[in-house]
Amino acid sequence: MTATTHPATQGAESAARPPATDTLAGTGTMIRLVLRRNRVRLAVWWVVLVGLFAYVTAYYKDILATQAALDDFAAVSNVPSIKALTGLAAAPNTLGGAVWTKIWMTCALSLAFGVLFLVTRNGRADEEVGRTELLRSRMLGLHAYSTASWLINAVLCVAVGAGVALVSAAGGLDPAGTGITGSLIVGTSITGVGLVGVAVGAVAGQVTSTSRAANALGSIILGAFYVLRMVGDLGDGRLTWASPVGWGQQMQPWGANRWWPFLLLILLTAALLALAARLEARRDFGAGLFPERRGRPWAPARYATPLGLALRLQRGPIIGWTATIILTALLFGSVVKAMTDLMTDAGGTAADLLRGTGVNALLSLLVAMIAMITTVFAIQSAVSLRTDEASGIIEPQLVGAMSRTHWATRRLLIPVVGAALLLLLGGAGMGAGYGSNIGDPSQTGRLALSALTYWPAVMVFVGIAVALFGWLPRLAIPLTWAVLAAMWFIVLIGDALHLPSWLLNLLPFSATPYVPYQELTWPPLVIMTLVAGAFVWAGLSRFKHRDLQPG
Amino acid sequence: MNQTPQGQPPADDLAVEIRGLTKSFGTVNALRGLDLTVPRGQVTGFLGPNGSGKSTTIRILLGLLHADGGRATMLGGDPWADAVRLHRSIAYVPGDVALWPNLTGGEAIDILCRLSGPLDPNRKQLMLQRFDLDPTKKARAYSKGNRQKVALVAALASKAELLLLDEPTSGLDPLMEAAFTESIREVKADGRSVLLSSHIFSEVEKLADQVTIIRDGVTVESGTIPQLRHLTRSQVTVVLGRGVDGLATTPGVHDLQAFDGHVTFAVDDQQLPAVLAAVAQLQPSSLVANPPSLEELFLRHYGTELITLNGQGR
Repeated sequence: MTATTHPATQGAESAARPPATDTLAGTGTMIRLVLRRNRVRLAVWWVVLVGLFAYVTAYYKDILATQAALDDFAAVSNVPSIKALTGLAAAPNTLGGAVWTKIWMTCALSLAFGVLFLVTRNGRADEEVGRTELLRSRMLGLHAYSTASWLINAVLCVAVGAGVALVSAAGGLDPAGTGITGSLIVGTSITGVGLVGVAVGAVAGQVTSTSRAANALGSIILGAFYVLRMVGDLGDGRLTWASPVGWGQQMQPWGANRWWPFLLLILLTAALLALAARLEARRDFGAGLFPERRGRPWAPARYATPLGLALRLQRGPIIGWTATIILTALLFGSVVKAMTDLMTDAGGTAADLLRGTGVNALLSLLVAMIAMITTVFAIQSAVSLRTDEASGIIEPQLVGAMSRTHWATRRLLIPVVGAALLLLLGGAGMGAGYGSNIGDPSQTGRLALSALTYWPAVMVFVGIAVALFGWLPRLAIPLTWAVLAAMWFIVLIGDALHLPSWLLNLLPFSATPYVPYQELTWPPLVIMTLVAGAFVWAGLSRFKHRDLQPG
Repeated sequence: MNQTPQGQPPADDLAVEIRGLTKSFGTVNALRGLDLTVPRGQVTGFLGPNGSGKSTTIRILLGLLHADGGRATMLGGDPWADAVRLHRSIAYVPGDVALWPNLTGGEAIDILCRLSGPLDPNRKQLMLQRFDLDPTKKARAYSKGNRQKVALVAALASKAELLLLDEPTSGLDPLMEAAFTESIREVKADGRSVLLSSHIFSEVEKLADQVTIIRDGVTVESGTIPQLRHLTRSQVTVVLGRGVDGLATTPGVHDLQAFDGHVTFAVDDQQLPAVLAAVAQLQPSSLVANPPSLEELFLRHYGTELITLNGQGR
């Protein structure tokens, strides 16, 4: 009847968690749920990835019909930029090798990122918003939902690999007399890299407590795998073996035709999934690996301003991207000298693909990659305008004495100013790394300014994000990322798409002077800045007049 | 973890038995020795202010969280280890229902039903009608109240032995609250058990056979509603022809205030006969007596005591 207060605990009787039983009960229902929720996404990923491989296969079969053409292609491919971006096939002067050089990295990495995001969508994201709680109150085992999601995504990886193998064999990529071994290996290697993406997503979803953090952690891990193999491919190849993406490359279809690196990929996948399951069994629902810390009970005055609040809310991503840029830049800078020593072998035929030879061309390529990373940061920050509108957290701010334009422009200072700072930082970091190797401290300032040249191009993407936010709010976030992905695709395989060169040259990254290799020219930079400004203006003036649309 | 040396084996007439339950999240102690029982075939109200540990308790019963200490038994099993088996016999409604935005309400209900124990298909149809829910709409088009109805329909369509309801009527309009009350009475008439967490006193008073009140993760009161009423006082308002001679000093009378013949005071329920006899001597022309409400009990626990406790720098 009256209050009974117990001591804080009745001993350690409950401290050890007994294993839960029936942990897989309901997996069948969950498989149907995952399929139902993701049927469009799963189909689109399969069609796009297999279709891409099929398209490049057909196109190269057409233009590389003779051995002489294949030999030429192999020669122009043997340059650092190709090695860095996509890797070079083990047998570059075969038809299969040419297709591999062009499209394998894109397919494998896209699949890995795709399944990473799908695993988060059906895992941590559902848990974060409370949908999983409702399911778990029913007869659903501890691991059933995760298992169903991992299984479906693994099946997507196998299906994409099988599709690629089929397309490759049917397209005649295997040289006469070798059967379809090369085709099977190329498909299997894509499956293997995809499976690692599933496993990385599974672990990230157990370690972090929000879907955003899970995607960020997973992306950083996959990005690190890519950069490791990039540095390895440019150097002596040792670092390639430190990366699961590199294991996929080293299966070398139509070259060494190795099966055993696939075993490494499977073992890593199994180990990571086992770790994820163990973490899931040992944690509370809704929790990550680390408990939420207490914060301060009051807010500084700057949090009452849109910029101050946004800086606080985006603190994690800002710190994360800054660290990523600095580490990548230092890594790039420190290996430039080693790469240029190898580059003298490239020869004259490489000229048009590399846009020239020499260290400046290589530096220009790496500066462009720093700019790519910066673009991802800037877009992520710009689309948060829509995220805040969709989640409704924009409303308490706008019902205060604040105009929408004021709110939006202050928020946009983060991508606008942040991108400039990250470019400077990335260029300077690369210059510092390179300069210390060759004893030339002036490289720091030179490359910092080279990187800053990409600021107008980055701003065009910010502008596109804002314009879509204004005019197509519900589709703004996926469309903005799709624009970036489309540009990336066009840069990688634009020639194969028969796109006119004037269109390719209009892309923000192509329009930017290729500094420091090329001379700096101002007109494209001014024009892009104006275009970016026009996009932002169009988006904000529409936002001012349209209804708020919670997601 | 069920059988402790000092603990009793779970009684068969209890659907839920919780003794000395503790749970902390990092440095936050959410439960600090909670006791709670839900007798079979009864509705047990579970009252407490925001953040007092109601939802944490229910999530431990659901096997979503694992308790740090103490003992929790649900339908004779361990909520963590036997979660899936026990969930065959329970249904749960959270206070904030999240659904898959691109699935319809009907699809969501079917997914939840497919994961439950035995179902009554007629009852699902009846519940859809009773709660006036359109199951063909996409969940993103639902208001909060409609999302709530999805979880209610899925829970009430089941033949679950025990219903765990965590502020189940939040976001419902009065008409739907009435539909909810009716449904819970049916559940009770079937001899099934309900744990009803709420801070709507009228709802709990209407439905609950017994009530447990918690604060800061500790049980402060529990008993049947008549038992709890005994702990508090009726509020009486009378209009007297004569003065209030000596009424203020009558045993059992508290907080007496008189203004222009209108007299209000509180009475200990045990002293009610003696006090009414005294009032009758004073020729009352009107008398209104209000029984003690749970709300009053609640405010007594969370109003003044909380302030005092805070004042002591807890």
